[in-house]
Amino acid sequence: MSDAILVGRRAARPRGLRLSEGVRERIFAYALLAPALLIVLAMVVYPLARVADISTRIGRTMNFARIGLLPIGAGNYARTLSDPAFWQAVEVTAIYIAASVAFAFAIGLGTALVLDLTFPARRLFRTLLLLPWAVPGVVASIVFRWMFDGSYGVVNAMLRHAGLFAADIPWFADARTALAAAIVPTVWKAYPLITLTLLAAMQTIPGELYEASAVDGASAVARFRHITWPGIGAAAILAMLVSALWIFRDIDIIYAATGGGPAGSTQTLAMYVYNEAFQYFRIGAAAAVGMLMIVAALIASGVSLAFAGKQRL
Amino acid sequence: MKRRGARPAACFVMMTIASVVLLFPVYWMMMTAVTPVSEILSRDPPLLPHLGSLSFDAFAAVIARRPFLLWTANSMIVGGASSLISLTAAALAGYSLSRYAFPGIRFAGAVLLLGKLAPPALIIIPLFIMFSVGGLLESYGGLVLAHVATGVPLATWLMKGFFDRIPREVEQAAMIDGCTRLGALRHVILPLTRPGLASCFVYLLLVSWGEFVFGRTLMSKPDHRVLTVGLQSFSAEYQVDWPGLMAAGTLTLIPIVVMFVLLEPFLVSGMTKGALAN
Repeated sequence: MSDAILVGRRAARPRGLRLSEGVRERIFAYALLAPALLIVLAMVVYPLARVADISTRIGRTMNFARIGLLPIGAGNYARTLSDPAFWQAVEVTAIYIAASVAFAFAIGLGTALVLDLTFPARRLFRTLLLLPWAVPGVVASIVFRWMFDGSYGVVNAMLRHAGLFAADIPWFADARTALAAAIVPTVWKAYPLITLTLLAAMQTIPGELYEASAVDGASAVARFRHITWPGIGAAAILAMLVSALWIFRDIDIIYAATGGGPAGSTQTLAMYVYNEAFQYFRIGAAAAVGMLMIVAALIASGVSLAFAGKQRL
Repeated sequence: MKRRGARPAACFVMMTIASVVLLFPVYWMMMTAVTPVSEILSRDPPLLPHLGSLSFDAFAAVIARRPFLLWTANSMIVGGASSLISLTAAALAGYSLSRYAFPGIRFAGAVLLLGKLAPPALIIIPLFIMFSVGGLLESYGGLVLAHVATGVPLATWLMKGFFDRIPREVEQAAMIDGCTRLGALRHVILPLTRPGLASCFVYLLLVSWGEFVFGRTLMSKPDHRVLTVGLQSFSAEYQVDWPGLMAAGTLTLIPIVVMFVLLEPFLVSGMTKGALAN
C-alpha cells in the first residue's frame, strides 16, 4: 500500500526542474536559516561593522548621516588610551567582575551541592533559589538601593543591631562603598545560572562512583575532590566564563544603581561606553572602547574554552 | 532517585536558611509595599509585617499617579511581538541547525552566536544612528526589531536542543508517507516540539520584559517607556517614593514569577544541556 503511494508521488513530481536531491536539501536547509540569519546580519553584524568604522572616524558630528565623511585615523584609540577615566574604568571592571564572579560561584556551588542531594521539598527550593535569575537587572538594582539606603535602609538597621556599625552609610552614594554595593545585586542575579549549570553537571556523574566511595569509607571532602570536582570542572569554567561575559557586557544593574558614579567609582567599561556615547556624545571614543571590549571578550573566551577543553580530558 | 540520602533534615534546614537569606530582597520589596509609610520610613523598620496595619495604598497610588499601566502595556506589546517573531525565526533556524551539518550552516550558527558577544551598550550606538536616520526612533517597531535581534540567537540554539531530541526517523517516516520536507516539519515535527516552543516563548518574554538599554535609548519619551525604563526613571527622581517604587516593583515581578515557575523545569532539563554542548 505505502509502496504504491510512494511510487505514485514520485511519478507525479514535476520533472522539469532537475534539481538533485542533495541540492534540494541544501536549499531547504539555508531557506530555514535565512530569516534568523538576516535578522542577525542586519541588526548585529552590520551594526558591528558600522561601529568599527565609527571608532576610526575623527571629530564630532551631530548629523549621523555624515559620520562616513569624517577623516579616518587612530585618534579615538590614542585619546582613549591616554584618558585616566578609561583606565579607572578598566580597574573598576576588573574588580567588579572578579568579585562578582567569585561570590556568585561560591553561592552557586554551595547551593548546587545541596540541591544535588535527596531531601524534602527539593524541587520547591530549587525553584526558589533560581528565581533571582528571572528578576530584571533594573528591578534587582532598585531593590538593593532601597535596602542599602543611607537613611532608611534595612541593611544599616541590621548592622546597627548586630553592633557592627553605628554610622548610617549611604552605600550607593559614597565613592568608597559604591562599587562593593553594586557587586551585591550583580552576585544576586548571577549566581542562579551557576547553580543551574553546576547542578546539571553533577547529575551526569554516575551514582555508582559515590556508592563505591562510600564503601571505601571516603570522607565528604575526599568525595568532592576526587569525584565531584573532576566531574564538574569543565562546567565550572564554562559557568564562570558565561557569568563573567554577562557581567562584562551588561549595564542594567550599574545604570539603575549609580549610573557609574559617584566620581566614576562604579563606571565599568560598558557603562563608560554608554556614557561617552549618550551623555557626552563622544561617539568615536565610545566605539573605540567598545571594540577593545569585544577583542578582550574574544581573547578571554578563547583562553577559557581551551582551559575547559583540557579539563574535560 | 538521587544517591546519598545523607542527612535530609540537615539539607532541608540549610536550604531554608539559604532561601530566607537569598530571597530577602524580594520579601523586603513586598514588605515595603504593604507597610504604612510612617512605619517603613524609619531608622528601625520592622522586619515582620504588623498584620493589623497592612496597607495596599502604595499599589493604588502607583497605579493612579504613575503611568504604570501604560508602561506595562508597552512592555506587553514589545514583549509579545518580539517574542513571536523571534520564536518563528528561531524555530526554523534551530531545525536547520539540528538536521543539517553543511559547513555553511555550521558557520551561520556561529555567526548567530556573535549576537551574544556584543555589549548592548556598544551595539546600541550604531542602532541608534541607523534608527535615527531611518526614522525608527520612538517607534514600537524599532524596539521590537532590537529585541528580536537579541532574542533570536539564544532562542535558535535552545530550539536546536529541543529538535535534537526528536529522532531523524520521525520525519523520514513522514517523507516516506509522502510529506514534503516542509510538510514533515509543519505537521509532524513542530507539533512534537510544542513544549519546547512554549518554553522558548516564555524564555523570550522574560528576556524582553527585563531588557533595559535598548528601551531606554530607543523609546525614551515618557509615553513610550517600557516597564524597566519607567521604573528606572521613577527611581531616579530627587525624592524617591520608596513604598510606591516597591509596589511597582512587586507588580512587575508577579508575571515574572509566574513565567519563571512555568519555565523552570525546562531550564533545568533543557537549557543547561544546550549550554554545555556549546
